[in-house]
Amino acid sequence: MHTEDIGSELRKFVRQQFSIPENDPDFTDDVDLFNYGYIDSIGAVELTGFVERQFGVVFADADWINFPLSSVREISMFVAKRIKEEL
Amino acid sequence: MPRISVPIAWIDSDTRTQLEYALTFVSEDVVSYQINMTDSTIEAEVSSEDAREPASRKIQELVERYQKREFGLPKVIEFRQERELPIVDAWSGLLERRWVTPVGEGHVILRGMAAQLLSLIAAKVDGVFARFFGAEQEFYPATILCKTLDRIHHFTSFPEHIDFVAHLKRDLDVLNGFSEDCREKGWSAALHKDRMGDNDFAICPSCCYHCYEGMENWQLEAPGRCATMAVSCHRFEGNNHHTMTRLRAFTQRDVVWVGHPRFVMEGRAKAEEMIVQWVRDWNLVGSFETANDMFFTQDYAIKASFQRQQQAKKELRLLIPSEGQSISVFSSNFHAATFGKAFNITLDGRPATSACVGWGYERWVYAIFSQLGFDLDEWPETLRQEFQNHKCGKLQWK
Repeated sequence: MHTEDIGSELRKFVRQQFSIPENDPDFTDDVDLFNYGYIDSIGAVELTGFVERQFGVVFADADWINFPLSSVREISMFVAKRIKEEL
Repeated sequence: MPRISVPIAWIDSDTRTQLEYALTFVSEDVVSYQINMTDSTIEAEVSSEDAREPASRKIQELVERYQKREFGLPKVIEFRQERELPIVDAWSGLLERRWVTPVGEGHVILRGMAAQLLSLIAAKVDGVFARFFGAEQEFYPATILCKTLDRIHHFTSFPEHIDFVAHLKRDLDVLNGFSEDCREKGWSAALHKDRMGDNDFAICPSCCYHCYEGMENWQLEAPGRCATMAVSCHRFEGNNHHTMTRLRAFTQRDVVWVGHPRFVMEGRAKAEEMIVQWVRDWNLVGSFETANDMFFTQDYAIKASFQRQQQAKKELRLLIPSEGQSISVFSSNFHAATFGKAFNITLDGRPATSACVGWGYERWVYAIFSQLGFDLDEWPETLRQEFQNHKCGKLQWK
């Protein structure tokens, strides 16, 4: 699965799950989802669950600390690498 | 007295300091303890033979919480200022001069030059920070609803340090009985037993919570608002109260931003720049670095690591040469949308974000006397001039 496809599904999930309006100018693939208040720690758990179900990868708690996972782009890249077993 | 020894498999120096702090809360049966790094154990004295097993189990549980290798505590030092300092026993000096008088564990009265210095620091926060950011001044009660602390998950992160507010039950027999016992035997904590009503308030453990609670259901205009406040806060820290490094009752001053993330983050970043300049101007020895809250929960490791990775908390730490340690006198905190969500504060339809910077006034005073001593002539020129001008009401902030 390509990083772009993962990004597209992630973006759709985050928009729906966290009620982000279509015209929100701040919501981009590079925006920090935590710093910009889109997702908090509970949201991170929901996002983890979605990624594990949707892409069949496993997130460890330490992944949130050891890898940059703050934006749609960063999470997509992480998932793509984990699918390929590069991480 | 019976002794116990609990092994520690792995721990770094930062984590060790935090474990050492947390051990005071492990059990009232633990009379004393120390971490022995040579043979990697915690040695503790317990009050009785019966206390051995439960105390060992609790210490072991705490050790496991702190020794999670898979998480780290990355530290970034953004600024450091160093120079040779004399060793000044500021605590004894302040007591001798009666500029500080302890009035209970972790409680102090400040007067004389200590009070004047605190007043200067407060004036500098007003004249430099609050003015620069156009911060709106707010005044708060010293106590806060327990329900509010619960809504912001304070009890699930820091249950150990809350000082609850208690009152006697509304009952004539209880009131008469308490009063008579006090008259006959004098007050003791035992007289509270079964006589206290339900707690609904606690003493504010932090300065800015009322700010968010007071903005419940506000729809902010872009980019947001900035407010400032000072509150007498309380934190119970077990056996860790000593000198003025860890007070149970202290004065905290905050500047708070609530609004759009860019507005909030830019305000916080500018305040960080300004505090570093303050340390340079007063030639104080210390560092400005990433930090974490002392979460007293099972998920300490992930919360602390995440906070450090996100640089959500930074501290200005000033050296106390006579104690061989540095203390946090200023912190800068980014809360993302935690409070915006908790209190439904919105901006453009989204939860507002927030950040605060805070000063612990008594710690500033203690650190300055510890570094510079009591002879005003020996103080760095900028500080000396500001102190003298403030004292005679002539201080103008640029």
